[in-house]
Amino acid sequence: MFTTLISAIAFGVVLASVIAIASMGFTIQFGLTNMLNLSYGGVMTASAFVAYLLVSHGVSAWYGLIVGGLAGSLMTLVLGRFVLRPYARRGAKLFEMMMVTLGLALVLDYGLQALSHDNIYQFTVLQSSPIHLGPIVITPTQVILAGLGLVVFVGLELLLRLTRIGKALRATAAEPTLARSCGIRTGRVVIVTWLLSGFLCGLAGVVYIINSQSVGYSTGELFLPLVIAAALLGGAGSPKGAVVSALLMGIVTQVVAAFGQPAYSTVAGFAVLVIVLLARPGVVAGSQGAEAQVTL
Amino acid sequence: MVGILLACAIHRGVVLRSIRYKSIAAAGALSIMAAACGSSATSGSSGSSGASSGSPLVVAGVIAITGSSSFEGSNQSGGIYPAIYSINHAGGVLGHQLVYKGVDTRGDPADALPAVQQMLATTKNLVLVAGPGTASAPTIVPVLNAAKIPMTAVAGESSYDFNTLPYFWRLFPPDSANGTGMALWAHQKGYTRVATIFGTDSGSQGDLPGVLASVKALHMDLVSQINVTPDQPSYLSSVQQLMASHPQVIMTESDGTTAGTFFGELKQLGGLQPIIGTEATFTAPWLTAVKGALGSSFEQYYTGMITEPSKTTAAVSTFQTALKATKTQVSPPWQSYLSNPFSLTYYDGIITVALAMVAANSTSPSVFDSYISKVANPGAGKTVVYTYAQGVAALKAGKQIQYFGATGTIDFNKYHNSDGNQEAVGSTSSLNPVPLGVVTAKAIEAVPVVGVA
Amino acid sequence: MGAWEFYITTLVVYFAIDVLSAFSLNLQFGFGGIINLSFIVFQAIGAYVAAAVTLGPDTGQNAFQTYIWGASLPFPLPLVLATVAGAALSLVVGLFGLRRMRKDYQAAVLLIVSLIAWEVAKSDVHLFNGSNGVTGIGRPLGTTLPLSSLGYQWVYVVWTLAICIAVYALVRWLSSSPWGRALRAMRDQEDATISLGINVTALRLQVFVIGGAIAGLSGGLLVEYIGAWSPGAWGYAETFVVFTAMFVGGIRNYKGVILGTLLVPIIFLELPRFLPPIGYPGLIDSVEWIVIGLMWMGSLYWRPQGLLPEKRNMVFPGEFGSVTGGGSKAGFSLASLLRKGQG
Repeated sequence: MFTTLISAIAFGVVLASVIAIASMGFTIQFGLTNMLNLSYGGVMTASAFVAYLLVSHGVSAWYGLIVGGLAGSLMTLVLGRFVLRPYARRGAKLFEMMMVTLGLALVLDYGLQALSHDNIYQFTVLQSSPIHLGPIVITPTQVILAGLGLVVFVGLELLLRLTRIGKALRATAAEPTLARSCGIRTGRVVIVTWLLSGFLCGLAGVVYIINSQSVGYSTGELFLPLVIAAALLGGAGSPKGAVVSALLMGIVTQVVAAFGQPAYSTVAGFAVLVIVLLARPGVVAGSQGAEAQVTL
Repeated sequence: MVGILLACAIHRGVVLRSIRYKSIAAAGALSIMAAACGSSATSGSSGSSGASSGSPLVVAGVIAITGSSSFEGSNQSGGIYPAIYSINHAGGVLGHQLVYKGVDTRGDPADALPAVQQMLATTKNLVLVAGPGTASAPTIVPVLNAAKIPMTAVAGESSYDFNTLPYFWRLFPPDSANGTGMALWAHQKGYTRVATIFGTDSGSQGDLPGVLASVKALHMDLVSQINVTPDQPSYLSSVQQLMASHPQVIMTESDGTTAGTFFGELKQLGGLQPIIGTEATFTAPWLTAVKGALGSSFEQYYTGMITEPSKTTAAVSTFQTALKATKTQVSPPWQSYLSNPFSLTYYDGIITVALAMVAANSTSPSVFDSYISKVANPGAGKTVVYTYAQGVAALKAGKQIQYFGATGTIDFNKYHNSDGNQEAVGSTSSLNPVPLGVVTAKAIEAVPVVGVA
Repeated sequence: MGAWEFYITTLVVYFAIDVLSAFSLNLQFGFGGIINLSFIVFQAIGAYVAAAVTLGPDTGQNAFQTYIWGASLPFPLPLVLATVAGAALSLVVGLFGLRRMRKDYQAAVLLIVSLIAWEVAKSDVHLFNGSNGVTGIGRPLGTTLPLSSLGYQWVYVVWTLAICIAVYALVRWLSSSPWGRALRAMRDQEDATISLGINVTALRLQVFVIGGAIAGLSGGLLVEYIGAWSPGAWGYAETFVVFTAMFVGGIRNYKGVILGTLLVPIIFLELPRFLPPIGYPGLIDSVEWIVIGLMWMGSLYWRPQGLLPEKRNMVFPGEFGSVTGGGSKAGFSLASLLRKGQG
């Protein structure tokens, strides 16, 4: 019983690191632009496919992680600049922007479906024998993925707190108009945000498929609801919040899977969000009356 | 109702190393246009009248070609194309060539209905529907029966065990027979502690009750019953739960992706036990995924329970030759259908119906439908034939025939069901079955399974 | 022509059901401003309930499936219960899902509700037979009406169209009533509406429940027609098809919504069936969805109001100043309109 709980928590941490990387990327983008970007999952999948193609041509999975991240950066920037920005320029409101990203998600996902012939591709890399840590049995890859989540989190926090661009990013996210009048070039900040969140998005895609060992056109889209739930729960623009919520969701889903029916584990993950909404509506109420503006 | 879901599409496919477009059956497409579109001005109902001489006859595959059950369409393509090839190669049916028409149900009953009605409206000379599968059968079977189109279904639902519709034919044991075969095999091996891992998708859940009821009937101990949601990034906690229950054998069915992740994690955590998979696990996506995840341990642990394939008869070699000849038409990789039980069943269904047309000397379904069991069932004084060409020759010589198919003996009972023996098989690296032992239909019937209607 | 008649009549029935769906969403989104991404759940509950109360108990000939609320109620009670079920579930979801929050958050929450409901229905075989779904649902009065199966098709066409027209009359009346005007005011200027003393939370819940009732009704009509219902039929992306129809046709304009429904789920999604196979199997399907996505984005970019825009025959809070400035006699009306809405 106790062993099961401890193991479930450990597995939850592994799952959380995958959610957290994606969720941190999502939340900084969301924090800055105010826009729920539903095409994020499509970019995740596309980056994962880039890594898959590289690895299947004999490149190491570690380079795959980096290249996948860069691919995510590039795609996010292009989509943000040339697809989403024109809508914002036309004065699209927040929920209209969300609808646009939903349409974009359809185009991306089914484009990937067409290119991938609707097939699932095996991605069995980095297999290794398990480590026994007391009652917990875990694989080195899982430990590495959990570590990677931590590294990304610390790196991102340092970037946001210590560098000029990080500070500019936080300032723009909080008060875009004020930031602009203080001489911050918000246009440049937006570009940096696209690149940074895109990198995390791509990285998360590759981490996901290393963990699940396969990739298909809907990989990212299936995962997106958990990512968004963690980002909403953690508060827009807060990597720390995203990590804490990812941990909460990861552990809850695994504990439910271990003690109840695993079929309900994702349901439990979402239920966390709904419960938080009920208990603390302020968490997501944001600036409701005067609707927040899209910053692009 | 559009059943393809943006994200809920839990789809299984096959492993492909290269991403390349494949133009499928361009020639076939043209002839279908001739057969299908050209007919729209005339009466669409092909049910009652025979085809005019020389015009192609249409075999429609009503199945999930896209969506969460798209593997059904792949398996079917591996049976239909070879069957049509071998029939056309032997001179066609009564002077007609056969052509294939794919009708996508998307695995959604609401999508299947207009798709099938559109097919009925626009397809002239439709002689046979291969399918429908589990998800769309309840909606489609009555429609096809009313339109007097014979169908060779693979729907494993027990509700068809006592079917009375004249145009419904099932060459496939019900799901529960497969489950009973698995339990009997485990029993025979001396296992007493059983765990089940089943996906929550409709195909897998359809096969679960038969397994559970049979395990109970044989007084084995069900130590854990785990249902997993497909396409999760990780199943570690479920793996842990499984290991903690200390099973001696794991009975399973799920899609390939889920199985690959689950058993990969089970192996990594050192919890592998012998695995007995349902018939649906003996298909390329599942085998490839689990083989990829288990590596060299795979052959040691995996046993599949499938409908007993016919041993090296001319039926099998003819099928395999025809498959090789149509390897650019079927969904890749073509090798995965060489001994795929579903593909073999579809193949046999089409050959049987084609022979029935020859025997009835008619392409009108209302005439030849009753000949379907006559050309397949064993009987005294019948000439056993293994291929379409042999069958046509024997029929021309005025003989009664029994088509012994690639799946072995076909013997329709009065409910138009043909149940065969089950066989436990291992899998080679080329996805061929390695026979381990037969569980006879008699033994399966003898198990007092309750709770599965 | 029999087969063609079957096909066409099926399309007309589907069209009528899709129009009902679009009416429901148009009321909720077009007039109430609620982005109900869980729409399909309410259609699904209607379908499940209608199925269960038609099938009879899950024993005997139905022993191969398990479901709750099994009963054999006579026509038209299953449809009534489907409507009630849609309304009841909307009330439950609305009570927590419609709390005052940012619109995009709310949409995300409703989307998640859709995912949860789908997973639960799929995983729990004791509710409505899990992922295999319920099957074998007889058509209403199918055995009592002295009709051929083709004759029955036409009767069902007339029946669904009649319901469609009745609902059309209802939603038209609702949206032009004082209640409907209050709804629009809430959609466009929520804070101003609150300051006029209108309980927007109650208003939102009301429109959500009415929309849910229509969705439940549409589900009941659909399941009685096709005879089976399973999670395969109500994945959350189904909601997007209705939204696309609404965007393309014209939000808030009922004629536009009907036009959009004809264009998107019927013509656009049926046409590919007539195409010869191109590429590998499934390619057409992928391309279909890519085009839906592009249509969606295109209509948001070039015609955010749809092909037939909303008729601005009322005074809107945003136009208040200009209207009074122009000396229109309608100029005074905002406050009084809303007060009427209250009454």
